[in-house]
Amino acid sequence: MEPNSSPELLPGTLYLLILRTLSHGPLHGYAIVKRIKEASREGLQVEDGSLYPALNRMLVKGWLAAEWGVSENNRKARFYRLTPEGRRQLDKEAGEFDRLVRAIQLVMRTA
Amino acid sequence: MALWKEIGNRLSYLFRRSRFDREFEEEMRFHIQARAKELEQSGLAAVDATRKARREFGSTLRSREDTRSAWQMRWIEDLASDLRYAARALRRNPALALAAIGSLALGIGANTTIFSIAKEALFSEPSCRDPQSLVEISTRGNGWVPMTQYRFLEDAHIFDGLAGMNIGMVVNWRNGNRSYRLAGTRVTDSFFPVTGIPVAMGRPIERGELNVAVVTYGFWKKRLAGDPNVLGRTLVLDSKPFTVVGVLPRDHRMLAGFGFTPDLYLTKDPGEVMLYARLPQGMTRQAAYTRLRPICRDLDRVYPDVNRKWSQELQLTAIGGMDRLQQDAGRQTIPILAFFAMLVIVTAIVVLIACANVSSLLLARALTRSRELAIRMSLGGSRNRLVRQLLAESMLLALLGTSAGLLLNLWLTRSLSGFHIPTPLPIELILQPDRMLLAYSAIIAFVVTLATGLLPALKATRAGIGGALKEGGLQTGPAGSWLRSALVIGQLAVSIVLLSTGLLFLRNLIQATSFNAGFDTTNTIVATVQGPSDPPKFFETALARLRDIPGIEAASPAYALPLNPFLAFGRPSGPLRPDAGAREVRIEYNFNAVGPDYFRVMGIPILQGRAFVDADRAGAPETVILNQNLARRLFGNTNPVGRILRFPGNRDSRIVGVARNSKYVTLGEENAMAVYAPFAQQTVRGYAHFFVRTRGAPETMVRRIDETLSALDPVAAVETRSMGELFFGALLPSRVAAMILGAMALFGLMLASIGLYGVLLYSTQQRTREIGIRVALGATPGNVLTMVTGQSLRLVATGMAIGLALAVVAVRPLSMFLVPEVHPTDPLNFVAVACVLALVAGLATVAPTARALRVDPAVALRHE
Repeated sequence: MEPNSSPELLPGTLYLLILRTLSHGPLHGYAIVKRIKEASREGLQVEDGSLYPALNRMLVKGWLAAEWGVSENNRKARFYRLTPEGRRQLDKEAGEFDRLVRAIQLVMRTA
Repeated sequence: MALWKEIGNRLSYLFRRSRFDREFEEEMRFHIQARAKELEQSGLAAVDATRKARREFGSTLRSREDTRSAWQMRWIEDLASDLRYAARALRRNPALALAAIGSLALGIGANTTIFSIAKEALFSEPSCRDPQSLVEISTRGNGWVPMTQYRFLEDAHIFDGLAGMNIGMVVNWRNGNRSYRLAGTRVTDSFFPVTGIPVAMGRPIERGELNVAVVTYGFWKKRLAGDPNVLGRTLVLDSKPFTVVGVLPRDHRMLAGFGFTPDLYLTKDPGEVMLYARLPQGMTRQAAYTRLRPICRDLDRVYPDVNRKWSQELQLTAIGGMDRLQQDAGRQTIPILAFFAMLVIVTAIVVLIACANVSSLLLARALTRSRELAIRMSLGGSRNRLVRQLLAESMLLALLGTSAGLLLNLWLTRSLSGFHIPTPLPIELILQPDRMLLAYSAIIAFVVTLATGLLPALKATRAGIGGALKEGGLQTGPAGSWLRSALVIGQLAVSIVLLSTGLLFLRNLIQATSFNAGFDTTNTIVATVQGPSDPPKFFETALARLRDIPGIEAASPAYALPLNPFLAFGRPSGPLRPDAGAREVRIEYNFNAVGPDYFRVMGIPILQGRAFVDADRAGAPETVILNQNLARRLFGNTNPVGRILRFPGNRDSRIVGVARNSKYVTLGEENAMAVYAPFAQQTVRGYAHFFVRTRGAPETMVRRIDETLSALDPVAAVETRSMGELFFGALLPSRVAAMILGAMALFGLMLASIGLYGVLLYSTQQRTREIGIRVALGATPGNVLTMVTGQSLRLVATGMAIGLALAVVAVRPLSMFLVPEVHPTDPLNFVAVACVLALVAGLATVAPTARALRVDPAVALRHE
């Protein structure tokens, strides 16, 4: 599937996706994009250009921490991991997202 | 807190920007390479894979900018650049900037200094351990507790200790072959352990210790010459040896507050005390009150006291800060508070006038820049951003002005700190800059920023883009000059209020200095003698010796010193019965016992009858002299001389004379009553004041009299001063108020006239072309004159009308500070103020008018 044809992310969901992806363990930026793409069966494509600003905004908020490490193919890469605060944020946003989706579905079915 | 963490994260970014960029670069490279490697694995050629990966990533530059902005605090960086820009703008016009900063600094310096003094005098916390758990115990309206009642409460053992002190005591200090009067605070031996007052050297007084003293820093420095071996030194106080065990720190603040600073603390039976209790850990004042109530009931039973009912009037007061003031309100604090409030308000008004000037200047400048601003707005600059930029300029001015004001404050408070205010009470204030002052100044700076900058900034950026861009858009239009006129009118109006206040206090001072006290203080000397070993003999010999000194015209002892609230008259109020009849007159009057020559020394004429004579001695029939007020009150218009007045206790005295009214306790009193009795017929006390009239200048005689009296008895403390010097203290509040208010009023007037001058000059400049055209069309110099002065006249008249209306209301409450001869609403005041303002305004109009008259139409029309 071409990147342009992938549906646009709902506003604000990028944070949630990143938090969720990182909840299994630290990843570098490229791996995050890949993991989201795979998990959504190519349904979601995070724009490379908006990934890093988002990651940095989350660093500023203290949800993530970043450190330099070595990638699977032995290259120096920057790894992001969830902070306890990020985990709390994930729980909160995931709950809110669930409620939102359910509400939208309700409307779609009944209205 | 999440927000703080975020701010911390952002701040840390500011210091590692270049590292951030490097790291971001590396991360991008990794990302693109990882993608390329993946594409390669799916079969693409290496070169194509890299190219595709790059394309997919998009603009790294944009990505980096976006990423950076995640970290940046735009407003801080904007602020820094705005301030730089503002600094450049100010540097381009240094004279203007200096004038603005200088006028702000003077106002802010005066204002913060008064704030510092008021804060120290009224709100400072006394030096002691844990002031929160220390309370003063008293009954409503009466702070003095007799020692018997103090002991009763102490024996109840309900708190963590009681302490008592008596601040109003004078002790005689024998040093070498003469004695000095000291302000010695007598304390119970529990005083230092309970209050935990820290000492700088040695140790505090301990329980069970008698005849020991702790001296204050000032006394040690000045009177003991900073003696390094002061600890253990013996001071002979009231003829008994006391050992100095400690020296208090320089910033010792006494429990009594108000800057009261004695020379020393000593353990000696205080007679009656101000009572302090240390509450146990965690006990509130309310709980302590509940604990104390039942004991007070017992106390009332055991020591019935006509002056107080403990169980009903008990009160527990905090010892410092706001709490004490609130509970103290109604006592002597209100006038002091009002006095400081008035000074703070007046100086704040001056700051506001200065702000108006700065605002007006900035407005003029912003309007001349309106074309630049319009261009920037049309190019998409947001109005917020432009307003902030214009505000940065006033913020810079405010910051510089406030800083300079603070420097002034530091200098003033440093020179005032520890200064012994020339009053009979030992009052010294320790003035130190602290966080409160800093916070206060920050608020001032903020207010000044808004007051000077907001108006010009909003005004300048509101000018529509179209209008300002047109040629001739430099003209400010009516709105701008209307605003500046309004500012000037406001300035003139408040200057009137300031001037009225200043003038009132000036008149008050003149009135007080001309000293309509009813007695003559020129060529008079007062020598106060305290604690001679044999008072009756001493007073008799002393008078004889004084009369022998050549150059002395007359001398007389007396018990009371006029106009001195603390060494003042007895104020009996028992019923008086004229002619020993049945009619009782209950009235409060001032009582003084004086020698035969007292009226001659004081220059108080005897209007009817005679003065006292040597024959009015002990054992002779008792005589009294009344003042006019009392004579009229008791006997109406009939002649009282020769009649009998019965005092409480059925003591009959014959009235031998009527003395002219004079002031007794304060200069402000009105219709005060007074009774004089012969010194020789009164019970002898341990002190007296000798009033001496000299033939020549009194200054040369002071020393002579002092030595003569001191030589009579080394135990007696003698203090000799000319009466002028002595009454300086009585005039001090008037002097200070007149000085500060006068200076502030003049300064305010000056600023307002500069404001007026600025507006007139500016508008003349703006109208140069118009004037040129008018002159070219045949306007006479008279027309031009009318035009400019007419504008000035309109401004001044409006300002004056508003100001006078305001002043009439504003000066009303001032009557509490003024002598009765000065009425706050005296129309003469307002007329004088209006004249002064008109005069100054006239001067401010001269230069702009001259400029307008010089306009040469040929030049003016070529202008622009």
